[in-house]
Amino acid sequence: MNLQFIADGLISGSLIGLGAIGVTLTYSILRFSNFAHGDLMAWGAYAALTVLGAISALLGTVAPIGMLSFGWPLVVAALVAMALVGGMALLLDWVLFARLRAKGQSIIVVMASFGASMALRSLLEFSFTSKPEYFSRAIQMALPVGFGIRVTPDQVAMLLVTLVLVTSMHLFMSRSQTGREMRAYSQNPALARVVGIDVARIVRATWLIGGALACAAGIMVGVLVQIRPLMGLDMLLPMFAAAILGGIGSIPGAVLAGLIIGLSEAAAVQLIGAEWRAGAAFVILMAVLLIRPAGLFGVSER
Amino acid sequence: MTPILDVRGLVAGYEPGLNIVRGASIHANEAEIVVVLGPNGAGKSSLIKAIAGLVPVSAGQVLLDGQDITATPAHLMVRKGLAFVPQTENIFPLLTVEENLRVAGGVLARSEVSPRIDEMFSMFPDLARQRRLAAGSLSGGQRQMLAVARALIVRPRVLMLDEPSAGLSPKFVEMVFAQLSQIRRAGLTIVLVEQNAKAALAIGDRAYVLVEGREAHEGVARSLWDDPVVAELYLGHRRAS
Amino acid sequence: MIDLLGYAAFFLSTALILGIITLGLNLQWGLTGLFNVGIAGFVAIGAYTSAILTTPEAAERVGGFGWPILAGWVAAMAITGLAAGLTGFATLRLKSDYLAITTFGVAVVVQLVTLNAQGLTGGPFGVAFIPRPFASLAETPVAFNFANLAVVAAVTLVVYLALEHLSRSPWGRVLRALREDERAAISLGKSAKSYRIQAFAIGGAVMGLAGAVQAHFIGFIAPNNYLPTLTFQIWAMLMVGGAGSNRGALLGTIVVWAIWVGAGAFSSALVPTDWQARTAALQIVAIGVMLCVILLVRPNGFFGGRRRK
Ligand SMILES: Nc1ncnc2c1ncn2[C@@H]1O[C@H](COP(=O)(O)OP(=O)(O)OP(=O)(O)O)[C@@H](O)[C@H]1O
Ligand SMILES: [Mg+2]
Repeated sequence: MNLQFIADGLISGSLIGLGAIGVTLTYSILRFSNFAHGDLMAWGAYAALTVLGAISALLGTVAPIGMLSFGWPLVVAALVAMALVGGMALLLDWVLFARLRAKGQSIIVVMASFGASMALRSLLEFSFTSKPEYFSRAIQMALPVGFGIRVTPDQVAMLLVTLVLVTSMHLFMSRSQTGREMRAYSQNPALARVVGIDVARIVRATWLIGGALACAAGIMVGVLVQIRPLMGLDMLLPMFAAAILGGIGSIPGAVLAGLIIGLSEAAAVQLIGAEWRAGAAFVILMAVLLIRPAGLFGVSER
Repeated sequence: MTPILDVRGLVAGYEPGLNIVRGASIHANEAEIVVVLGPNGAGKSSLIKAIAGLVPVSAGQVLLDGQDITATPAHLMVRKGLAFVPQTENIFPLLTVEENLRVAGGVLARSEVSPRIDEMFSMFPDLARQRRLAAGSLSGGQRQMLAVARALIVRPRVLMLDEPSAGLSPKFVEMVFAQLSQIRRAGLTIVLVEQNAKAALAIGDRAYVLVEGREAHEGVARSLWDDPVVAELYLGHRRAS
Repeated sequence: MIDLLGYAAFFLSTALILGIITLGLNLQWGLTGLFNVGIAGFVAIGAYTSAILTTPEAAERVGGFGWPILAGWVAAMAITGLAAGLTGFATLRLKSDYLAITTFGVAVVVQLVTLNAQGLTGGPFGVAFIPRPFASLAETPVAFNFANLAVVAAVTLVVYLALEHLSRSPWGRVLRALREDERAAISLGKSAKSYRIQAFAIGGAVMGLAGAVQAHFIGFIAPNNYLPTLTFQIWAMLMVGGAGSNRGALLGTIVVWAIWVGAGAFSSALVPTDWQARTAALQIVAIGVMLCVILLVRPNGFFGGRRRK
């Protein structure tokens, strides 16, 4: 049996997990499933592409870093894009979600996120057309790492970046005051106010972090696969499934569940056929909802 | 002497046009324990939640040390010196005991947080032993202590508690109330909403009886307990407890 | 003139079919408060069910049973209702977001099956030669268009009257009580869940019927008739019309569909061909923005009348 699918599954799973962090944060803190989260990813990838284009227009081509397909301009572009998408998420909240949240019906907010998602995605199609784009056209050699598995240097780099991002997120949530406040708020919003937590600040932090991480995940998908307006929509079901499987609100849970889903997708590709890949997330979602809706690390929802 | 907390003709309710608090006026002086009694549904919880900024106020005033805090958002109340321990769900169950204190300490200067947590732990040694446990795993009495410690950590001028003895065994009730008397001796003002009239009036200085959203009786705590009219009307059926 | 009449009949038939879907959504959302993000999936289930059952035998795929059209429609309702009922069963005891996510998943999976289960659905090429009612009239397009319109209008009327009746019945009153008063829901306990599942299943069956009617109206179906855009259009239609009112649902459908078709005709007349994909995208942006604006400023829609809390 070819073990390559394990490497593929882990890599795509780590990206699903990274995206699912934002989904799980918005769900546990702002209390709605954000259907526009995938589109923040796609916007992130296109934002980075645009910034990258500007950098190379100014400075010409820059040599790639080591064996990677990209150079430091993409790193800069990624950081700029993360800030932009974080800001965009804030803006979206300000014009749309905050107003609807104030009316108190969370399902209306979900519907608005669905409308916003369609609009955001189509705006990308309008600006960039649906033709796939790439950060770099360079072809990478996949290197053997034993057990018949081959990985590209880009894949290794993205795996490391994900590891760093997930670890820092975990430390942020468990050690920083803002992280503690976010967890406190998600458990009991009323008590959070009593304790002196500024809700507006928590909401801002949630969107900034969720947006920036979605952007990072989008860029990584762009580096490893390609950039398309629909890339976020395609990630949405796996990300939701990961957030639920991991237990809403749990960041380690979301990441672990992302890996599980990535591996199951890769296994589905291996055993059934590539065209059925997207079904894996649905099967897992249904299984979780029927067997253990609280997920792996969740506290049961009332 | 101007009262440190002065509530004047407060009108408040959860929905527009449906007032639960209907013109309540109460006050508390420096280092005083003021007890608020009243039958179920009288609006005791609603009154202190309105003072804490958690229920919309439509008329009246809340003055803290002479300063009008009626429109102050709830999350700024602790900074003004007003701390509140709600009746239920008054801790964060999934944070550890220490994190519960730390999250409340966000109001303090950064360098002050850890020393202050240590002070709380020496005040409540039971909590110190469980500092790394999830607060949700504490017993009822310990939770109540954690909630009080969390409120005290910011050095409030006024501490409002909503039925801190609810659901506790007599031994714990005694402990919590002894703790409150001690805190008062340190100069803190306490507003105590209670069903357990006997225990509350025993440590209280003055007391109010709230009926239908407004204070119906006010008096020295001890004499209120002996007042036959009050006892008959509002306390009688609870004497047993 | 004749052309125009024919076109009007065609436009109205298309709009009414969409209207039937919107009526189904109104039962789910307007009356019961259940959020369905997978409308396109349920419509597709109905369309494929009826198509597979009624088409003549085909060598390259299962099915082709040559059933009568009406039997196909009934089966479409049954299968789609079943699928919706199962979705509801799995999620309706949980928070409302889980239903939304699951219906989204259903649409993804239905899309996957229609694309890849070639032996059943014909894959990307879809199913052709779906029998059309009054096929004998096809020689005279105007008569054919009007005959079709009559069929579609009749189905719409039946669905409309049935749903009006249902929503006035004791059953409908329970549903309304459930959505407006959480305490009623809690006091009904387990049976509240079963009421909601029933509403979701019946709404799904109506969507399936609409899918089937549409399949037989066009005579040909393919997976990309059932993309998320369809779901999204139906939502815009219901929200413009005003959730909670069946008449609002139908009016909203016709208005939004007229805007949609008008904008499409406008752009294909004025916009250079290589920009048309882009203007199509812009059309969706506009509808998305419109949906959000309606939610913000006019949550009861324009034709609803009935106030929702
Ligand atoms: N969140 C709320 N929303 C709407 N109404 C409320 C809310 N909380 C309390 N009420 C209503 O306000 C009234 C007073 O309730 P409140 O909790 O203030 O009384 P209480 O004196 O504290 O009673 P208890 O002794 O039972 O604690 C009750 O009729 C209650 O139904
Ligand atoms: Mg109370």
